[in-house]
Amino acid sequence: MNESVIISNVFHHVAWGTTISVYFWLVGASAGAYVIASLGWVFGVERYKQLALPATGMAIILLMLVPVLLVWDLGQPLRFIYLMLPSYWHATGPMSWGSVLIMIYPITMMFYGYSVIKENKRWAKMIGGLCVFLAVAVELYTGVVMEFNPGRSLNHTALAPLLFLTGAFISGVAVLVLWVWIRNMIVSAISRAEKRVDWSLMEELAQYMMYGLIFDAFLLFLEFMQSVYGNQDEVMAHEEVLLGVFRFSYLWLEIVIGLLIPIIILVSPLKRTRFGIVIACIMVGAGVYGMRIWWVMGGQYLQTFY
Amino acid sequence: MRERQRSYGLQTPGTRGVPGMKRYGMVIDLRKCIGCMSCVVACKAEFGVPMGVWRTWVKVADKGTYPNTKRIFMPRMCNHCDYPVCVRNCPTQATYKHKDGFVLQRYNRCIGCRTCMVACPYNARHLIPAKRTDKNLPKLVVDKCTLCIHRVKKGLVPACVQACVGGARIFGDMNDPNSEVAQLATRETLTVLKPELGTSPSVSYIGGDWEIMDESHSYLNRTTQLREEFNTYKRNHEGDAFGDIVEGESTMRQVSRNFGGFLRSIPHKAKEVFDAYVNLYLR
Repeated sequence: MNESVIISNVFHHVAWGTTISVYFWLVGASAGAYVIASLGWVFGVERYKQLALPATGMAIILLMLVPVLLVWDLGQPLRFIYLMLPSYWHATGPMSWGSVLIMIYPITMMFYGYSVIKENKRWAKMIGGLCVFLAVAVELYTGVVMEFNPGRSLNHTALAPLLFLTGAFISGVAVLVLWVWIRNMIVSAISRAEKRVDWSLMEELAQYMMYGLIFDAFLLFLEFMQSVYGNQDEVMAHEEVLLGVFRFSYLWLEIVIGLLIPIIILVSPLKRTRFGIVIACIMVGAGVYGMRIWWVMGGQYLQTFY
Repeated sequence: MRERQRSYGLQTPGTRGVPGMKRYGMVIDLRKCIGCMSCVVACKAEFGVPMGVWRTWVKVADKGTYPNTKRIFMPRMCNHCDYPVCVRNCPTQATYKHKDGFVLQRYNRCIGCRTCMVACPYNARHLIPAKRTDKNLPKLVVDKCTLCIHRVKKGLVPACVQACVGGARIFGDMNDPNSEVAQLATRETLTVLKPELGTSPSVSYIGGDWEIMDESHSYLNRTTQLREEFNTYKRNHEGDAFGDIVEGESTMRQVSRNFGGFLRSIPHKAKEVFDAYVNLYLR
């Protein structure tokens, strides 16, 4: 034995945990759902107008859980206000930008919802357009905040924002389809069937989700290649973290359950059945959460031993 | 070599080799370190560092095959980088670079978001636990080594340097060619942790063993006992971030447990906040 063996070291915890991974998932699903909500009023696709209110409502509800997670995850919960004060604001900190975006995004979305209810086309288009920009920015931010840590080889990749954005889109569609499925059942049960959202739209969204899944698989492949052909830390992170401790969330939850099986479902005849679409959406939602787990906790895992 | 002059968001730029500027730093001579942990104890005593967290610590490794073995000690601390990632990423300017080279933390600005802990490549930062013996000391904010700036300002060396029995820790102004650290830098081969990150640490090592300094190697080559101890520790101490995943246990069960821990922590934090504001405004 010529190599040194570590016999004693202090123990460290990860700095960001489950709460942050749940927050990333919620923000992503909200942003993805909102982009669909905007198709009708902002981009002028008439048949999607019926989705605007249910999708905006769902996006707002998902976002309302975020402050609970973020504020109570802080060591000093009431000091969250510092993030908004100009004298504390730090332009180079990604979280400074992120906190502003996360504050503005739901408020803008509420204004959009109000404009849609009032059927004010001009304002709906204008505020909706701003809201699409904010939705994309919020989701890119979650990738950026993980990316700007050069010490974490698993996170420090320019693909991060794109991976988060794609994950947001597919999880947003998945959650929206599930939401509409449940909503349609409820409105049918209370004898207001005319309020149901046309299910053929969901079939169409499921197809968009499949394209998103294929793009996500492509990005994951690029990430995989970078790790495999990377430096020692990257190879280690892949072998010991992704295929080691985080094997379930990476390999099984994200790739098999969240990507492969839904793609198979959505290219098979099952894509025309409600059962197939709902199952695929549940799997995609879970798979994207699997990605959030290894991305947040896995990235920090190796260093807790350093 | 022309040094980079860059400033991260209105912070003091690095002072390495800048004429007329100080750059306090430390050289740790690993040939002289005997692993007595005096530095760790001195630091704990100087700042009342709570149990379970450290501003400085010593990593220990065994090298070689019997009978040709040796034990290596590796003191670790904040590297007071010239280009600190933690300073760049902090959203409230709670952490900043002092003009003399210290990377410091302002408790009154820290919101406990732990962004700096995620950013630090050296694990040098910690969140002060909620339970402290002295209730007047800060808690649930991020803390780190200050290189004992309060002592340096009075002409003293940091507590760990003072306590080092082997004289392994040498402190001084690296920009002063007459200082011991600057002379050691010209005479000896110095190594730093993770030089590839470009953080330009102010803490250098003489006689550093690359294996113990390497993150991947440190993970792969641990004793079985250390591995078990680590897992036991993480299972029994959920920490304040609720995110530890350990080997040999279902990931989803651990994630659920961690999330449960976070939810259970909310009433405690709410009580802390309430008590703090009652103390501040109503008493």
